[in-house]
Amino acid sequence: MPQAAPNIEKLDEHLMEVVRALHSAVKQGVSHSNDSTVVDNTIRDCKEILDVIMAGNVSEWMN
Amino acid sequence: MFTDKIELKDFDKMDPEYKDLLGRVLTIQADCEIGGPHLYVEKMLPAAPTKLDQLIVARTAAEEIDHFRKVARVAGDIGVDVSFVLSQPNEKRFVDAFRGLITTWEDNAVFGFLIDRVGRYQLEEFYDCSYLPLQRILPDIVTEELGHIEYGYNKTVELLSKGDEQKERVQKAIDNWYVRALDMFGRSGSSRAERYRYWGLKRRANEQARTDYMKEVNPILEKMGLKVPDPLKGRHYV
Repeated sequence: MPQAAPNIEKLDEHLMEVVRALHSAVKQGVSHSNDSTVVDNTIRDCKEILDVIMAGNVSEWMN
Repeated sequence: MFTDKIELKDFDKMDPEYKDLLGRVLTIQADCEIGGPHLYVEKMLPAAPTKLDQLIVARTAAEEIDHFRKVARVAGDIGVDVSFVLSQPNEKRFVDAFRGLITTWEDNAVFGFLIDRVGRYQLEEFYDCSYLPLQRILPDIVTEELGHIEYGYNKTVELLSKGDEQKERVQKAIDNWYVRALDMFGRSGSSRAERYRYWGLKRRANEQARTDYMKEVNPILEKMGLKVPDPLKGRHYV
């Protein structure tokens, strides 16, 4: 078996959590589409999560 | 031609060229998956025309991040660390279409319609490929990419229904992204592409995939009342 890249397991788990959180926020927003406060909050939550991923500080996530 | 099917446990026994090409194609694929959100999240998440569109931008980004995760896992298992692409500035993306930033809704819609469609073509190259762990992650990724393409198409149609001025803006976006889409297939007659095919990692020559794409896209553009751009104007890889 080849030697796996370091931290691949950790990165995989972290990103899986991120994706779950984003999907859950989007679902919440879509199912409360008549309540603009809930929708605004979920969009804000998505932005916060995505900003962290876009910043790409992988070593911070791993810690 | 290499016709065997390879599992992770067989990887160490493979020819160095196979290992090198598989690592390379996975790195580029991972870069393209995360390259999308890096193009549109910053400006389009806050500026999408409706709250529902904002949520769909977030969902699309989530799906692309998940595609990155899956490709990164396949790469990581053979010892190729692709995590550096998560912090790579857009100007350093492997594929030209992912350099820069999407700042208008027309560009965002056309990006989904044309560039995610190239993404689908790239993924289809791996159908029945020789590396089975790569083949296994494809169905879910392709299904989600089809959703991105459909959303991009629907949003483009929606924009076109808003009058001549809007149509001009859409045509401008098409003119920009169409040639970049064609460039994404790489150089015709590429010797590296030939080696990918030899090792069963890709199915078609670059020029064949590009021709198939044009045959699919050009009639759609015409049906939408848009001009098909000159396929050679502004191209980097012919």
